Amino acid sequence: MSVLRFENVSKQYPGGHEALADVSFEVEQGEMLFVTGHSGAGKSTLLKLIHLSERPSRGAVVFAGRNLLKVRGGKVPLHRRDVGAVYQDHRLLAERSVAENVALPLILRGDRRADIGKRVREVLARLGLGHREQALPSQLSAGEQQRVGIARAIVSEPKLLVADEPTGNLDPTLAAEIMSLFASMPERGTSVLVVSHDLPLIKRMKKRVLILDHGRLMDDISPADLAE
Amino acid sequence: MSAQPPTNTVAAAPRTGVGIWLDQHLYSVVASLGRALRRPWATLLTIGVMAVALALPLGLALALGNLQHFAGSVEQSREIDLFLKPDIEVARAQVIAAELRSRADVAAVVVRTPEEGLAEFRARSGLGDALGALEENPLPSLLIVTPREDAPTLVDALQRLPETGLVQHDEAWRARLQGWLGFGQRLAWVLAVLFGLGALLVVGNTVRLDIQSRREEIGVLQLLGATDGFIRRPFIYLGAWYGLAAGLLALGLLLGSAHALREPLQALASSYGSSFMLGGLDAARGAGFLFASTVVGWLGAWLVTGHFLRQTRPTET
Repeated sequence: MSVLRFENVSKQYPGGHEALADVSFEVEQGEMLFVTGHSGAGKSTLLKLIHLSERPSRGAVVFAGRNLLKVRGGKVPLHRRDVGAVYQDHRLLAERSVAENVALPLILRGDRRADIGKRVREVLARLGLGHREQALPSQLSAGEQQRVGIARAIVSEPKLLVADEPTGNLDPTLAAEIMSLFASMPERGTSVLVVSHDLPLIKRMKKRVLILDHGRLMDDISPADLAE
Repeated sequence: MSAQPPTNTVAAAPRTGVGIWLDQHLYSVVASLGRALRRPWATLLTIGVMAVALALPLGLALALGNLQHFAGSVEQSREIDLFLKPDIEVARAQVIAAELRSRADVAAVVVRTPEEGLAEFRARSGLGDALGALEENPLPSLLIVTPREDAPTLVDALQRLPETGLVQHDEAWRARLQGWLGFGQRLAWVLAVLFGLGALLVVGNTVRLDIQSRREEIGVLQLLGATDGFIRRPFIYLGAWYGLAAGLLALGLLLGSAHALREPLQALASSYGSSFMLGGLDAARGAGFLFASTVVGWLGAWLVTGHFLRQTRPTET
């Protein structure tokens, strides 16, 4: 069953720049894949379409069987709760503690206070941040901040996790650990889409890779093809 | 860091919409109060400006209320003062009074002799020694006539009496006073609207600055799936807190002003033989004012956050 499907999607911005052109692909439930390409290839636009920060000019983006073109107004936030997001710059709330940052998706979902506390502690412990619950983001290292961002993205067990250059600021050892964590997510049924231009890392992960160039999907390489 | 697969052992129990709504409102109330308290000077400045803007029209309305109360007692005294000519004897004055009492449009007539008038004047004016130097009493007899209703014909009749020296009836003066009071009340309403609008803009601007400083945070919340209501709520509560605090401060300012004015005003009133007391706001009107000031704060924040959220909606193509 597919979680995400792009059907001949094009995106043209005002001014005429075509960021995506006739892109089609499908992401299965529990699948992990990479999207790579040079700067300006359309990776960010692809993420914006998934997140409903933008809408396609042509074609359809179907998420969990729902055509996102039909998701409007007050339904947009509900869609976003189904998509966990990890960013290169973490995007943590500076005035809130680690625990408060991680709790946000659960608060938005309307979980009980006691359940939220328990769930947050569990996820932070799993990511090795159990002792940093009350710290502010500014008191953490870059690696710790990235792990808090991941904890926030997975705490509500979204259907799809998208990560935009999640290892960009991390040393190779930490980057490998983060990738290993992402690779474990599909076992729980969460699909993972990682945008990265770190080709050595992508090759080591031996997952499916989509290659974008000037807004077009140039190649869709399966793990078997990648191994060859 | 462990790379173990996530094991979610906590299954969130289904919750009712009301439970979620209450929880999220409580979260917003606490968050907004905390935010206001973390910036005490900025908060005090906003509340102070709002309080002055709210206190001015309310103070004017209260002053007019007191004047209205005072004017009401003037309105009650509808007596017509009929001063007889100085050469009219007291006995003749009594006869005229009896004749007037027999008229259908007269409720009562009181005769005040020149001696009684002089004694009253001496007591009130404090000019006892000077009055003692007079060789004879210059005051005429006075008939205080109380009409049954408004009686312009009665005034005409009194003026036509051959013994009449002067008829004093303050109807025109009272009409002018009522005109001024009506104008003052309308002015108070106009000022209330203008200053209320000013208070609303003060809150709106403060919340707008707050939104600008938290733009990044709001963007993150939107990406995480926060609804417009979730984002708007802390700002609206912040505006309501500002409004409530400004209302309380405005009431405090007015109470302080009333306290400062009460004693000299009572001394002034008693020198005129009046027991006039400065009136204030009763509990119901005070609560109504606090409610109104809270609504002003709430509305200012609601308008600004609504404008901001409309600008941050995803592009609809």
